[in-house]
Amino acid sequence: MKHNLGRWAFIAPAGLLILVFMVLPMLLMGLMSWLEPGQFGGVKWGVYTPDSYIKFLFERDFGDNLVLNTDYLSIFSRSFQLAFVTTAITLLVAFPVSFYIALQPPKRRTWLMLLITIPFWTNLLVRTYAWILLLRNGGLIDSSLSGLGLLNSPLNIMYTPLAVQIGLVYAFLPFMVLPIYTSLEKLDWRLLEAAYDLYANRWQTLYRIVLPLSAPGIVAGCILVFVPALGTYFIPELLGGSKTLMIGNLIQQQFGTSRNWSFGAALSFALLAIVLVFMLIYALRFKGKGSLTSS
Amino acid sequence: MTNSSSAIVIDNIGMVFGSGADAVTALAGVSLEIASNEFFTLLGPSGCGKTTLLRLIAGFEQPTSGSISLYGQRLEGLPPFKRPVNTVFQSYALFPHMTVAQNIAFGLEMQRTSKLETQKIVTQMLELVQLPHLASRLPSQLSGGQQQRVALARALANRPKVLLLDESLSALDAKLRKEMQLELKCLQLETGITFVFVTHDQEEALTMSDRIAVMKHGKLEQIGTPTEIYDFPRTRYVADFIGETNFLTGIAEATGIRLPDQQFLETIHNRKLGSRVDMAVRPERALISREGTGLSAKVREVVYVGTDTVVYLELASEVFRVRMQNSGGATKIVSVGEMVKLQIPADAVRILEPSEALGTHEDNHET
Repeated sequence: MKHNLGRWAFIAPAGLLILVFMVLPMLLMGLMSWLEPGQFGGVKWGVYTPDSYIKFLFERDFGDNLVLNTDYLSIFSRSFQLAFVTTAITLLVAFPVSFYIALQPPKRRTWLMLLITIPFWTNLLVRTYAWILLLRNGGLIDSSLSGLGLLNSPLNIMYTPLAVQIGLVYAFLPFMVLPIYTSLEKLDWRLLEAAYDLYANRWQTLYRIVLPLSAPGIVAGCILVFVPALGTYFIPELLGGSKTLMIGNLIQQQFGTSRNWSFGAALSFALLAIVLVFMLIYALRFKGKGSLTSS
Repeated sequence: MTNSSSAIVIDNIGMVFGSGADAVTALAGVSLEIASNEFFTLLGPSGCGKTTLLRLIAGFEQPTSGSISLYGQRLEGLPPFKRPVNTVFQSYALFPHMTVAQNIAFGLEMQRTSKLETQKIVTQMLELVQLPHLASRLPSQLSGGQQQRVALARALANRPKVLLLDESLSALDAKLRKEMQLELKCLQLETGITFVFVTHDQEEALTMSDRIAVMKHGKLEQIGTPTEIYDFPRTRYVADFIGETNFLTGIAEATGIRLPDQQFLETIHNRKLGSRVDMAVRPERALISREGTGLSAKVREVVYVGTDTVVYLELASEVFRVRMQNSGGATKIVSVGEMVKLQIPADAVRILEPSEALGTHEDNHET
């Protein structure tokens, strides 16, 4: 068993890291979500209640009856909407871009992929601040459009869902390009010739050959964009102001100004559960299938 | 030059890849006609342009100059999916995410063949290539030989006028390749489809083809039936590429050729007296004996190879091979170091031309 011991020694640091900084905090959060919130933050240890989860959907009226409250649901649905549209737009933009890059000679590919990753060299927070300068009234876009006489009234994009949407698409585009490019780069282009040879035109070849074979990359890209976009915090904080809250902001508020740690933990777990359900549906739908279109 | 039974007419095709200093000429003025129902082979080493020519017919490349017609229809500008030809690729290029049956049905689906008809043809094709039991497998679950058959079935399902085969057997092991060669030939006779086959394997070409075009550096060296190519190689290149050959050089005299060691080889030729002549002699056409007439040569080595015995001689300070069939058991008529007589029949000597474009067959070449 000496052999096994050696193997464990290699995994141990990473395992310890995950245990201490991932599994334990998760368990702690799970526990917190079932505890009574403390008055000035924190929780009352040992006082268990499902109230935090009830609060997500209901509020108590004066007669202590539960009444449906859609405030939090609407924040969730807005978050899902924004994340979904972000995924759709980045997919539509990233696929042709990845396809184009994958078709270039190897040397050029490396350069183009470098260009895709250059934004990572600057902190996303800084880049998001830059969007404020671009989008705000009197900012670069607003002033140049009105300067050209194309705009009569102020642009008024800042602090709207649109601004958040722009910020999200901008921030997550590379996360869609990278996995799709990786799967397209591995594609055997001779298969495209075979499809052409068998009377498939360009669109049919795209739909029947390229898309199914790059499906793993497309799915990976969608997950890499959708999940973090759903939980994103500072993009809506900076670009959306107080009107366009997303789940991430709501959770942050509970741990911050609202001092309701239990509710924050419950919200986090609700989000986690919803994401897991989506993943489960995906896993079941495509179980054992290499293709999106095989009938 | 065009006649009605031509399946493919290739007229002065030129193909240059790249431009400027990096330009590579893949084909330089190739013209040939392939008859309907013919098994036509493009033979040559890698880089001779044979695959490029095939890709031009399929439509994957557009020629720099010249034209290709298929049954009288010019193919210029037609994309591959509008050409009534199908290809069996060297790598097979089976769609990895589709089953064998889906692969075979693909071309028919693209042509909007009815579901019922498609199913019928797929079943037919699976039987033709003897794989009905594998219809629902994925390509990755098949052996190389099985993949090759699926690729063939996928192409044939469309009943193309012309089937293009790009080194389609080269990935198979020797035994399977032999089997597939015969199967392919049978299939071609059964279906009556014109086959254009690309290979670098001369044996494969001789076994299967009705006619062979030998290519070199983007040009045609010789076109002919396997017997013509083997028995009457036009140039040293062809003689060397196909089969085993002895090469001799000498000076033309009235009734034969004077070898460098002053021995005289009687043969018929049409060269100018006194000009330098290259000749080829197949090893199985020469004879050796201890006594009698013939050229004097020294035995260098005797090699027994089962069906034959190969004797390596030294003639005019060159190696000359003689291959004798062991039809009466192992023959051991000579031994190493011995001086023997080498008889080369006058009609076994092939006078070779320098490698040039075709059409200069009767010209005399002076040195």
